[in-house]
Amino acid sequence: MLDIFLKAAFIENMVLAYFLGMCSYLAVSKTVKTAVGLGLAVIFVLGITLPINWVISTYLLEPSTSVLSGIIGQETDLTFLRFILFIAVIASMVQLVEMMIEKFSPALYISLGIFLPLITVNCAILGGSLFMVAREYNFAESLSFGFGSGFGFFLAIVAIAAIREKLRYSDIPPALRGLGIAFILTGLMGIAFMSLMGIDPGNIIPQK
Amino acid sequence: MKSLIKFLEKIEPDKKNSPFLHTLFDGFHTFLFSPNHTTKGGVHIRDAMDLKRTMVMVVLALQLCYVFGTLNIGHQHYVSLGLHNEGFLDGLGAKLLYGLLQILPIFVVSHLVGLGIEFYFAAKKGHPIEEGFLVSAALIPLIMPPDIPLWMLTLSIIFAVIIGKEAFGGTGMNVLNIALLARVFVFFAYPTEISGDICWVAYDYNILHQLFGIEAGTLEALGMAALPEGLSWKDYVWSHMPDGWTGATPLGLAAKGGWDAVLASPQYTTSNMFWGTIPGSIGETCKPLILAGAALLISIGIASWRVMLSMFVGAALTAMLMSAAVGGDTSFFLGVPWIQHFWMGSFFFAMAFMATDPVTASATNTGKFIYGFFIGSIGMIIRVLNPAYPEGWMLAILFMNVFAPLIDHYVLQSNISKRLKRIKSAQ
Repeated sequence: MLDIFLKAAFIENMVLAYFLGMCSYLAVSKTVKTAVGLGLAVIFVLGITLPINWVISTYLLEPSTSVLSGIIGQETDLTFLRFILFIAVIASMVQLVEMMIEKFSPALYISLGIFLPLITVNCAILGGSLFMVAREYNFAESLSFGFGSGFGFFLAIVAIAAIREKLRYSDIPPALRGLGIAFILTGLMGIAFMSLMGIDPGNIIPQK
Repeated sequence: MKSLIKFLEKIEPDKKNSPFLHTLFDGFHTFLFSPNHTTKGGVHIRDAMDLKRTMVMVVLALQLCYVFGTLNIGHQHYVSLGLHNEGFLDGLGAKLLYGLLQILPIFVVSHLVGLGIEFYFAAKKGHPIEEGFLVSAALIPLIMPPDIPLWMLTLSIIFAVIIGKEAFGGTGMNVLNIALLARVFVFFAYPTEISGDICWVAYDYNILHQLFGIEAGTLEALGMAALPEGLSWKDYVWSHMPDGWTGATPLGLAAKGGWDAVLASPQYTTSNMFWGTIPGSIGETCKPLILAGAALLISIGIASWRVMLSMFVGAALTAMLMSAAVGGDTSFFLGVPWIQHFWMGSFFFAMAFMATDPVTASATNTGKFIYGFFIGSIGMIIRVLNPAYPEGWMLAILFMNVFAPLIDHYVLQSNISKRLKRIKSAQ
């Protein structure tokens, strides 16, 4: 449980190790405040959608464990529906987050703009669900993985936002201003995050 | 002195017609004399302690490490050959010559490449030369293995200076530490050259050695032991070390068998790890001299004692926790006694000269404590728990460089909200 959380957040960070979810990561990281908002939204969406998708995937799609198989009386393989169902769940969750943010923090809602509904097609989120299936996590593990990778995204986007706030005062060559330097920065942050790659949090204490 | 000023005024090139020459001239002029520019508009306090003099103090603090590093390259070389291995100062001349011939090309290349790029960008962007690279150029040779191929060094410095610094707008604007970025480039691009057991002892003879004539007996003239069986130097070296000298580093030993394995090895004792007569990166082995440099930097207020202290505390606490996790069993890497962790590897060099870089560290005082503490803790975690890397400080510092602006941001925010509260309560 905890080791999957740590691994998803620090060691196999969605943004800085797999480079997933770059669009909103680069677009909303201009100030720390909006970055925190988007980061929290991503944590919420990942943390909720992964367990739901796990239930759908296990009890509706997989032929061996599907409830439908029992009803129909023969094994039904519905895994081809995986993408469309996952996206549908993610979209409805994002809708929920959007309504909540609009209600409780209209200022944040405006500053996030189009990038809030665009979380739906954020590859980090669909990627999270697909990783969960590929790695054959159980329910608790997928919950932990969801919050862990959401936290990793939050950390990355808040860190780059703080750096980009500082970079506003830098004399960056004109050709690199804006997205150019953000891409270079992401690469350098990726190098820094390689420091923890290779640690296995599930197996820290050595066995004799 | 006056004639020198007059001479400089006379040869000053025209700024418009030859921007490159003028940049060059300006660089050397401010190196010799404090410039007498006056600020335009607004009142500013001016001090002779400008960026260039700050940099020079750091370079001065590194000099002891340079002297020791040079000597140690020679010492390790001869010890691995089985010559002059009774004492550190035995065969001093020969060791010094070998060390110099090994370190000079590294030193020259690192300055030429880095300052060349610096000159180019200064002239191109039309500002005076920023001396920021002087410190990086002095640090880079010290954190490289003595046998690093020069082309690799060149590539790494080009990467670090252009991508890490000039792209971000030059000196003072970089997010990651330049010297560490150069090293991390070599580390990930050519891992066999900078990790493992064989790279820490210099054994080849570079072009300078050919020029100075190994065969001609220069080394023998300096008190080198006579060679057995009348072999030539080259033959002797190659017959003794066909693949380079191999011997595990203290950290390599500890990763396999804990502190017990380090103590059991004939090469390493606590005292020689402390005094630094062991293989390693050029400048990081001798702990007392590094601490002397650190004391100099703290006393003149350039390096931050807050970062150093909290980094030490962070590393010590993490090491204690790890040791407690295995019940103090010293045959595990986790169980190495916390104090012994500091003699192995390059903790003190990273603490004194790398983590304290004022550009990439947190700027606020509270932030410095947090920043240092996390470097110490994460560095120890990488060293002990990450089987992929032999040592943690370089990567831990880069990791925290990324988060330093975030720490500053929240320290500032909490300060602002505290003051707001004070205003409200006063009303």
